[in-house]
Amino acid sequence: MAEVLGVTMPAGGTPVDGPSAAAPAASDRKLVRKENWRLIRRRPGFIIGSLVVAFWVLCALIGDKIAPKDAFQTTANGVAFPVNHGPTADFWFGTDRSGRDVFSRVLVGARDVLAVAPLAAILSVVAGTVLGLLMGYVRGWLDNVMSRLVEAFLSLPALLIALLAVTTQGNSRWVVITVVAVLFTPIVARTVRSAVITEADLDYVTSAKLRGEGTPFIMFREILPNVTGPIIVELTVRIGYAVFTVASLAFLGAGPQPPSPDWGAQVSLSFNDLNAGYWWPTIFPALAIATLVIAVNLVADAVQSVLSA
Amino acid sequence: MARYLLKRLLLAVITLWILATIVFVIVNVLPGNVGRQVLGGFASEQSVTEFNHRIGTDKPLLEQYGKAMRNLVTLDFGVSYSSPARVTTILKKDLFRSMKLAILALVITVPLGIFAGRFAAQRKDKLADRAIVMTGLATSSIPEFVTAALLSYFLCIKFKIFYVFADPPAGTSVIGQFRYLFLPALAMVIVYFGYIARMTRAGVIQALDADYTRTATMKGLSSRRVMNRHIMRNALAPTITVVGVQIGYLFGGIVGVEKVFNYHGIGLEMLTAIKNHDIPVLQAAVLCIGIVYMIATLAADLLIAYLNPRVLMEVKR
Repeated sequence: MAEVLGVTMPAGGTPVDGPSAAAPAASDRKLVRKENWRLIRRRPGFIIGSLVVAFWVLCALIGDKIAPKDAFQTTANGVAFPVNHGPTADFWFGTDRSGRDVFSRVLVGARDVLAVAPLAAILSVVAGTVLGLLMGYVRGWLDNVMSRLVEAFLSLPALLIALLAVTTQGNSRWVVITVVAVLFTPIVARTVRSAVITEADLDYVTSAKLRGEGTPFIMFREILPNVTGPIIVELTVRIGYAVFTVASLAFLGAGPQPPSPDWGAQVSLSFNDLNAGYWWPTIFPALAIATLVIAVNLVADAVQSVLSA
Repeated sequence: MARYLLKRLLLAVITLWILATIVFVIVNVLPGNVGRQVLGGFASEQSVTEFNHRIGTDKPLLEQYGKAMRNLVTLDFGVSYSSPARVTTILKKDLFRSMKLAILALVITVPLGIFAGRFAAQRKDKLADRAIVMTGLATSSIPEFVTAALLSYFLCIKFKIFYVFADPPAGTSVIGQFRYLFLPALAMVIVYFGYIARMTRAGVIQALDADYTRTATMKGLSSRRVMNRHIMRNALAPTITVVGVQIGYLFGGIVGVEKVFNYHGIGLEMLTAIKNHDIPVLQAAVLCIGIVYMIATLAADLLIAYLNPRVLMEVKR
């Protein structure tokens, strides 16, 4: 939880006048961005993480085409597959309690989580950015009230609220996306707010005000381009938490239902068979979740250590 | 002190009120037909209407809200749908069992995390430091139910060290219970120790650079004394806050762990409530966890104020 870890250190006083206080020219910004991207790309964590993420994204896109078997079929050419059969050359990850091929289901199941988690994260970052810009630039009562609300939101058991919401509002993809996005928005808003507050004191904002620019223009055209760093960091971190939350919800039954090959749903369906020694239908989807979240977090960590340096 | 305490208490009460309102909005205000969602597409129109009448979504909103708030203040959430027992009676027992598990997890996590963080900070940027930070980053990003499933396979089934079911038979001694509860607790320890280690590490690194540390060293104190009396005392404040906050996450994750290990705590009770369409139990469980969480954060704030009285001065300003 970056929001917990990142107990915001006091910003080093008011920025001194000088080059740093002026608005960086657009060309400078481009240069900095290019340099940052180069630094990020060189990090081993980023390379490994993005390779793994790319693999799962590929599975999400064309998993059903590259999978050796149909993820839902329990028979081929009229012959039933063996049930709960351990890994063999034919079934790399074995078969589950209905005889479905676990390897194919793991490949195809990437789609369920990747169709939901990144979208939820993006929505929360968009909403949180708008909210954070308003809170940090407009300030006043709006900021006061919103800050208290955000603080309260941060201390709520998010997963449980999501569980309650999905149970009572239906477990369609869109409900899960909306619920996760709403729960993450305040966290993003808080990060963006503190970045905006430091920017709002700088000369380029004052001069924009003197030029007579309107509040929306200053917020979105002047300040926003200068706070993209924290926003990108927040996006990568949020995607990690979204995968975490969506997978947990699916395991708890608040998400794709059987026979969906969703990883959380697969674990939920098979973990009771662990006891009987049938470990493959549980362990492989569980490892798939673990590799995806770790990979996303490796990328997030690389982005964070370059952009917030 | 009294003023600080009052301020924190007020904040906790407001947060609880917001939580209760969110729960209320989700169940009673959102346009989704709760009865239809909970009972499923095949339920008859009549049973859906009856269900909605029973949880009261057909009454005027203000009346529903008043009732929800009354329930919260009196800690009486009415009668369960699926059993004749009162919701509070059911949850009290479950909450106690979950607390046992959560406390065991914390008792292991906190010292381990603090030790690892301190160890890493003293070796900043060396191999051991990188290893601890990366392990913490990796393990803390995995959902609890995944670690629980992996542990349960490797330690219970493959090597038969622990039990697959966390529920000890009635009458098991405290030590005997430990063997049942250790593994579910460990599943959470793996997820949480990384945060605490990272937090402590950051705190110690900052304190190592501070003026008071230099002064203490120049006074000729032994490095052990500097570490224990000067550095740790200051470095622990953010760690304690994190521990307080984590209790909320711990109770989120405990649901999955209880499901994997079939441990009848508040998490499993929530899942049973979902299966039985028992919305009052589900709602009340979320609120109960909210209350536990408020108490934990409050305790953390007080502990920080005790360790570092400067916090109190900030309030006065």
